[in-house]
Amino acid sequence: MLQKLVGGLIFSGILFSQTMANPQFSIVGDLVMDQLQKDPNLSSSGIEIAVQGYVNPFARADVYLHKHNDDSPIELEEAVITVERGLPFGFGLRAGKFRPDLGKINKDHVHLFPFIEAPKGISMVLGEEFYAATGLEVNWLTPLPWYSNLSVGYFNSDISSHDHGEDVSDHIDHDHDDVHFDGEQDNEEKQATAFSARWSHFIDLNEVNHFEFGTSYYTDYEKSFGGADFKYKWRPNKYRSLTIQGEMIQFELGDKHEEKTVHPKEVLTAGYLLVNFQFNKAWNVGVMGDYWDFDLADIYSMDPSIFIGFSPAEESAVLRIRIGQVANDHEGHHEKYLKTTAQLIWSLGPHKPHRY
Amino acid sequence: MKKQIILFTLLSFCFGKVRVVTSTTDLADIVKTIGGDRVTVTSIARGNQDPHYVEILPSYMFKVKKADIYFMVGMELDLWAKSIIDGSRNRHIDVVDCSIEIEKMEIPTGTVDARMGDIHRFGNPHYWLDPKNGKRIAKLIAEKLTNAEPKSSDLFRKNLDAFNLQLDKAILDWEKRFVNLQGKKLIYYHNSWPYFSNYFGLETVEFLEPKPGITPSPAKLNHIIQRIKSDDIMVIASESYFSDRVPKFIASKTGVKTVKLAQSVGAMEGADSYIHLFETNLKILSQAFGVEHD
Repeated sequence: MLQKLVGGLIFSGILFSQTMANPQFSIVGDLVMDQLQKDPNLSSSGIEIAVQGYVNPFARADVYLHKHNDDSPIELEEAVITVERGLPFGFGLRAGKFRPDLGKINKDHVHLFPFIEAPKGISMVLGEEFYAATGLEVNWLTPLPWYSNLSVGYFNSDISSHDHGEDVSDHIDHDHDDVHFDGEQDNEEKQATAFSARWSHFIDLNEVNHFEFGTSYYTDYEKSFGGADFKYKWRPNKYRSLTIQGEMIQFELGDKHEEKTVHPKEVLTAGYLLVNFQFNKAWNVGVMGDYWDFDLADIYSMDPSIFIGFSPAEESAVLRIRIGQVANDHEGHHEKYLKTTAQLIWSLGPHKPHRY
Repeated sequence: MKKQIILFTLLSFCFGKVRVVTSTTDLADIVKTIGGDRVTVTSIARGNQDPHYVEILPSYMFKVKKADIYFMVGMELDLWAKSIIDGSRNRHIDVVDCSIEIEKMEIPTGTVDARMGDIHRFGNPHYWLDPKNGKRIAKLIAEKLTNAEPKSSDLFRKNLDAFNLQLDKAILDWEKRFVNLQGKKLIYYHNSWPYFSNYFGLETVEFLEPKPGITPSPAKLNHIIQRIKSDDIMVIASESYFSDRVPKFIASKTGVKTVKLAQSVGAMEGADSYIHLFETNLKILSQAFGVEHD
């Protein structure tokens, strides 16, 4: 059924691509080459298909489909209607399947990152491709004298029902009697609903310096986390900018039954800090520190990396290189390796690999 | 009672203004001229900024949140404006595309795709650089301001007439003083100037960009150097936001003069109003070509 839907979308995209009232139709593809311990590997995460357009003067619809480069079926990443100018008192609404306004980078697709791979600590909480769920989110531009947005969402699935690149339970000391994380088990019994909230602020320090910060909160029947993030950007002209961005999440993994915590909680603290400098039209370079720490299990990691980006023209094709330390659990040993990754991303249509 | 009337009048003058946001400083300057003290106006793009690429900042959405009218350039130059307007959550704003009355140049025929670079499907969008289009923009702005505040229609009409008169005088003056620029050949960095060149009779020979928005390649630079030598071209003009590096490199090989022009109000010193934008650019070019002007 989904494949028929995708076929229909592609066909209608092509059919109406020359009309004025068409949805915008984009494809993003990539090629990834990585090397870990002298083993080079070529891969692709497949293609992302984006169909975007206005439903009426006040609402927009965005559909993102992902076809992985394997035999798996096409995956519906997002299908969301956004009402931005149709509601009174500065309210907005998103409904459908989408990435909730939660933390600084959860809303962004991976190809928008300058650093290729999502920070490992954050993806332990939100999943490798981050948290997307079906639900409803209300946004409110608060009447403060600067841009201040409050988002509250209700969703039908929690963060544990998503693909976590590296399951948090892998890192927990299972011998510890007080610690419990049941991952995918008992899914049918769980009321997999979740609430999210975020309050973000954006302040112009002057014409070229901007600062934004936010706080986020998530809770479901079992788990909860709170987070804080910030971003500072200096952009004196079109081709020069300095970005300093950081985010920290404290994730309580413990079980909750009948709204009561019955087990002591394992706490994962995860975050990252990055500095990215774009020094001309085509090139940017940056460093990132990726941090995570399990409190009870007493395991932590701090993995630095550097990244370089090159976009020859109009950002419709971007080449990125990342050299960074990764932590692997190998035969019970926590080992660290240097990993080099190169990624070529290309796009057709207005949904670009990198956002200005 | 008198006090109440005075207070009401003062309040209406302080808070009853038409709140306008524009994409560019050129539109903002014309709004300010027509609207006078009955409008407050803010431009999203700065004068020295490339209007094709404006980072969509939440603070811009905040500016648009309480605006009555948004004037955009249109023709896909300021596509970013849509995201800013949507993000503002302003249900009542009147969004006006200022290109609707313009005689458009360079409308592409046939298939338009990324092979052609950053080409605009509806024609070249730098239309404000023809002074006659300035009059068309001003007329549209006066109409929209009148719709927003009918009680000030006389003021807007008066200011529009004054603007047209001032621009007509300036045009006559430029046609006399800068007549020697007609037929002069030059190379531009980006194709921002067809309306300007067409109006003032300049001949565009080449662009440094091989395709709109594409960085000049070594092969293209070599071609430009040969063309300058063979056709005896004297001037390379670039927008104020481009780096000097490429024009200076060509100048070092050929002796061609390089100048920067103001693509918008506020882009350079002297270009502090819509009329002064042309005055500044014409003076810079006449000095570069070594032709007389008063």
